[in-house]
Amino acid sequence: MSVLGGMRKRLRSWMPRAAADVDEEFRSTLEAYAQDLMGRGMPAEEARRKARIDLGRPDAQHERYRDALGLRLFDELSGDFRYGVRAIRRNPGFAAVAVVSLALGIGATTAMFSLIYAVLLHPFPYAGADRIMNPVIVNEQHPDQPQWFPLTEAQFQVMRQAGPINSLLGFNNSHMEMTGSGLPEAVFGVYLTENAGSFFGVRPLLGRNLEPSDGENGGHAVVVLNYRFWQRRFSGDPQVVGQTLELDHAAYTVIGVMPRSFAFNNTTGVGDVYLPSSRMRAVARVPYMAYIPWIKLKRDVTLAQADAALEPLVRQFAKEHPERYPDHWHLALQPLVVPYEQQTGKALMLLLAGVVLLLIIGCVNCSVLLLARGSTRQQELAVRLAIGASRWRIVRQLLVESVVISCAGALVGVGASHWLAKVPLLLSPDSFPPESEIRVNAPMLVFSVALAIACGVVSGLAPALRLAWRGSEGALSPRRAGVTAWHSTRRWSVLIAAQVALTLVLMGTAGTAIRSFLQLTREPLGYDPEDVMSLGIMLHVHDPGEWGRRIQLHDVRAAYIEKIRASIASVPGVTEAAVSTDATPPYAGAASTFELDGEPAREQPQARVLLTGPQYFAALRIPLIEGRMWSADENARGDFVAVVNRAFAARYLAQGSTLGRRVRVPGLTTQNRFASASAQSAGWRTILGVVGDARNDGLDRPAVPALYVPYTALMQPYEQFLVRTQGDPRTYLHSIRAAIASVAADQEVSRGAAPLREDIERDAQYSRQRLFSILFGAYSAMALGLALVGIFSVVAYSVAQRTVEFGLRMALGAPRRHVLWIAGRIALASAVAGIALGLGCDGFLGAVLAHWMQNAFAADTLLAAAGLLAICALTACLLPARHAIAVQPAEALRNE
Amino acid sequence: MTKTVDLPQGTLEMLILKAVSLGPLHGYGILLRIQQISGERLEILQGSFYTAIYRLERQGWIEGEWGESDNNRRARFYSLTAAGKRHLKAETAKWADMAAVVAGILNARADEI
Repeated sequence: MSVLGGMRKRLRSWMPRAAADVDEEFRSTLEAYAQDLMGRGMPAEEARRKARIDLGRPDAQHERYRDALGLRLFDELSGDFRYGVRAIRRNPGFAAVAVVSLALGIGATTAMFSLIYAVLLHPFPYAGADRIMNPVIVNEQHPDQPQWFPLTEAQFQVMRQAGPINSLLGFNNSHMEMTGSGLPEAVFGVYLTENAGSFFGVRPLLGRNLEPSDGENGGHAVVVLNYRFWQRRFSGDPQVVGQTLELDHAAYTVIGVMPRSFAFNNTTGVGDVYLPSSRMRAVARVPYMAYIPWIKLKRDVTLAQADAALEPLVRQFAKEHPERYPDHWHLALQPLVVPYEQQTGKALMLLLAGVVLLLIIGCVNCSVLLLARGSTRQQELAVRLAIGASRWRIVRQLLVESVVISCAGALVGVGASHWLAKVPLLLSPDSFPPESEIRVNAPMLVFSVALAIACGVVSGLAPALRLAWRGSEGALSPRRAGVTAWHSTRRWSVLIAAQVALTLVLMGTAGTAIRSFLQLTREPLGYDPEDVMSLGIMLHVHDPGEWGRRIQLHDVRAAYIEKIRASIASVPGVTEAAVSTDATPPYAGAASTFELDGEPAREQPQARVLLTGPQYFAALRIPLIEGRMWSADENARGDFVAVVNRAFAARYLAQGSTLGRRVRVPGLTTQNRFASASAQSAGWRTILGVVGDARNDGLDRPAVPALYVPYTALMQPYEQFLVRTQGDPRTYLHSIRAAIASVAADQEVSRGAAPLREDIERDAQYSRQRLFSILFGAYSAMALGLALVGIFSVVAYSVAQRTVEFGLRMALGAPRRHVLWIAGRIALASAVAGIALGLGCDGFLGAVLAHWMQNAFAADTLLAAAGLLAICALTACLLPARHAIAVQPAEALRNE
Repeated sequence: MTKTVDLPQGTLEMLILKAVSLGPLHGYGILLRIQQISGERLEILQGSFYTAIYRLERQGWIEGEWGESDNNRRARFYSLTAAGKRHLKAETAKWADMAAVVAGILNARADEI
C-alpha cells in the first residue's frame, strides 16, 4: 500500500461516515431483510412494512450512527451554536452592544497578556535565557544599586572553570569611530568573547555569528552587525556579508547580521557592531583587559547553589583589585529579566488589574443585556419547557448563545489586541526590553480562546439559570406577563450596582494618574528645558596620524573643544552654547565622594560631580545665587575652582561661610589613556559660587548636592554641548553642523542630538505616568460607556415591558414626573448604591495606588469622578424613561 | 423453534467479531449468520445490532468496504482487521476463563468443598 493510501485509510477511519453512506447501507439492509421475509413467503407489501417497523425510520439512521459514535453532544452543541448565531442575527442591535461589551475587555486583557508575555515571561531571544545570569555586586550600604563588575583575563579564565557554570560570556563596550566613507561616524562597539555564537544560540539573519576560530592569531578582523545598524548604515543590503567596514582606522570584514530581535545589551548599551574580544586585546587600548561576565548556568543548578559556589571566587578577585569593589558587598546572580521586573513589573500588574476590571464590567454588562433580552424570550422558553425540554438543556442552549456572543467579541478583541499591545511600547519605549517583540503566538491564542469561553459562561450563567427556572413562570399567558413587573429586577439591580462601583474605581484610578502626571509636568525643574538641545561629538582619538597624538595633549583638547563651542555659539539664532560632559538633567553627573577642608574624614560625604563649562548655567537658565562663576582662563586650566548647588551648600556648608571653602574629589582622575585630565584635577578646589537647584536625580526627586567643576578637569574622548536657540532647536541642527565643520572639516556630530524636552518625555517616570494617565483614562472611558449602556438598556427594556402599566397610569391621571420616577427609580437607585460602594473603597484604593503607582491618592479625585458618574447615570436613566411618559394611554390599552 | 436467550452486556460485539472472522459479510448477513450458528436461539434487536456495528467500525476492529451482494445489490461488507483479530482472541480467552470459573462454582457440590 502506498504511503498516501495508508494515510487516506487512517483519515477515513478517523472521520465519521457521511450521512449518504450510512443511509445507503441502511437501505440495502432494509431491502435484504425484506427480500428475506419475502423468501419466507410474506407478501412484498407486508414484508417492506415489517422491515421498516423492525429496523426504524431511514432518516433517523444517521442520527443513530452519530449517537453510537458518541457524537450526539457535539451535534446538539453545534445545533445550539447555529441557533445562537441565528438569534444574534435576528437582533443585531442587542448583539452589537453585547459583542462590543466583551470585545473591549477581551481585547484589552489579551493585549496586556501578550505584553506581559513579551516583556516579562519571554523577553529574550537567547537559547536557555532563563539560565543566563547577570552577576552583580550588591553594595550593602546601597543595596538598591547593584553594580556590574569587570574581570581581568586571568579571572575570566578561572571563573569559566567554575562548577555551576555551563558557559561564560565576557563583553566590553567601546565607542568607536567608523571612517572610510564620508564623515566619520560614532559607532557603539561591543567586544564579545568568541563563544558568543553558541552562548546566545540565536541564528543570525545573514552570514554567521562569532565563532571560537575568530579568536585565533590575535583575533580576526571580523564584525557582526546589529539589525538596526545594518538597516541604517547599509539600508538592509542583503549582500553586506563580505564587505569591509573601517572601525577605529582598521578594516573589518562583515561576517553576519543579527536578527531584529537580538539587541545585546540594553543595560550597558545596545551594540551597533559586535567584534571578537581577542581583537580588543590585540589593539590593546586599555591598560588591562576587562570583561563584564554573563553566566549561563548548568541545567540542574539552582540560584542559591550557584551563588554559594561563586562567592568565594569573587571574594578572591576582590582581594586582587580591592579598589573596584565597595567595602561591604555580596555577590548576587540576577536572572536577566530582573531589572525589567523591577522597572515595569508593577506598572504592568496595575495595568493588568485595570483591564481585568474592564473585562468584569464588560461581562456584567453582557449579563445585564442578556437578562433584559431574556425577559422578552420568556414565551419561547416556556414553550420549549412545555414540549419537554429539560431545564438543563435550556440552560445549555442559553450558555451556548452567550458563548457565541463572547467568541464574536473575542474575535474582534483579539484582532485589535495585537495593535493595542503595542500602545504601551509606543508610549513608554524605554521602560521595556528592546528585544521583546509583541507577536501572535500559541500561548496568546490559547489564552484568548479560554478567556472568551470563560467570559461567555460567566456572563451567561446567571441569566440562563434565572430564565430557565423562574423567568418562564406563567409566561405562557401573555396577558399576565404584560402587566407584572419585571421578574428579575433584583438580580439586574445588583449587577448595575456592581458595574457602577467598578467603573468608579477605574475612574478614581484614572483621575489619580492624570492628576499626578499633571503635577509632574507643572513642577518647577530648576532649569529650563525649552529650546535647548544636547549634541555630542567624538574626538578623533584613534586617528593614526598626527592629530591622534596631538588631541591627547590637555591644552590642545581644551582649546579644540572651546573653539567648537564658540563656533556653535556664533550661529545666528543660537543664544547660548555650553559644554557639558554627562551633565544633562534630569539625571546629571556621577555620584562621587569628596573631602571638605577643615572637616575630619567622617563617613564619606557624597555629591554629584558635574563637568561643565561656565556657560552651562546661562544655557539652562540656572540662577547664580551667590558668588561668581569661574572665568574663561580658570575654565581652560580646569583646576582650583568649583561651584556648588544650593542643596550642597545647605547640606554640607551650613556652618560658617560658603564661599572660599575648599573641596577635593579624589576620584576625579582617569586611567583611560584616551581621556585627558588636568594637572591637579583631584586636588583642592575653592568654592566660588552657589547656584540654584536643578533636577539631577530624576524628574520626580529633588536635586541632590552637586559640585560643578570645569569640564577641562577631565575630558573624555567624547564631548557634549547644550545649545539654547530661539525657537525649535532642531531647525538649527544643519547650521550647527556647518559651524562645527568650519572648525574641523571631518568633525561629525554623533547620533542622538535631541532637545531636552524630548529627554524628559523619554524619562521613565514621566513616560510611566503618561502611560498610566492615557491607558487608565481610556479604560475608565470605556467602563463608563459600558455602565451607561447597561443602565440605559435596563431602563429601556423595562419601559418597553411595562407599556400597558404606564398607559394605565397616565390614563388614570398620574403626573408625568411621577411616571418618569417610577420608570427610572430602580436603575437610578442601583447606580447610587454602586457609587456609594465605590466611594467606600477609597481607603483600599488609596493603599493600592500608593503601593503600585507610587502616587498619592486624593479622595477629592474620587469624589469628582463620582459626581461625573452620577450625572451620566442620571442621563442614561432619563433618556429611555421619557418613553414611558410618551405612551398614549388609548394605544397601550388597545395593544392589550 | 427452541427457547431464545438474552445476551449479557457486551457479548453482542464479540459475536459480531466472530461472525465476521469467518469471512466478509454485510450487516444483515452478520445478523443471519449469528442466528444461524446459534441455531435460531438468539433473538437480536436490530436497533442495538447496528449501533454495535457502528461502534466496532469506529474502534477499528472491523472495516467496511462497498461490494456486490449475492443478489447483485450494492452492500457494505465488513471484515475483521488485524486489531480486531487480536481483540477477538483476547475477548474469547477472557470469556472462556470467566465461563469456566462461573461454571465451576455453579457445578460445585457440597462434598467437593
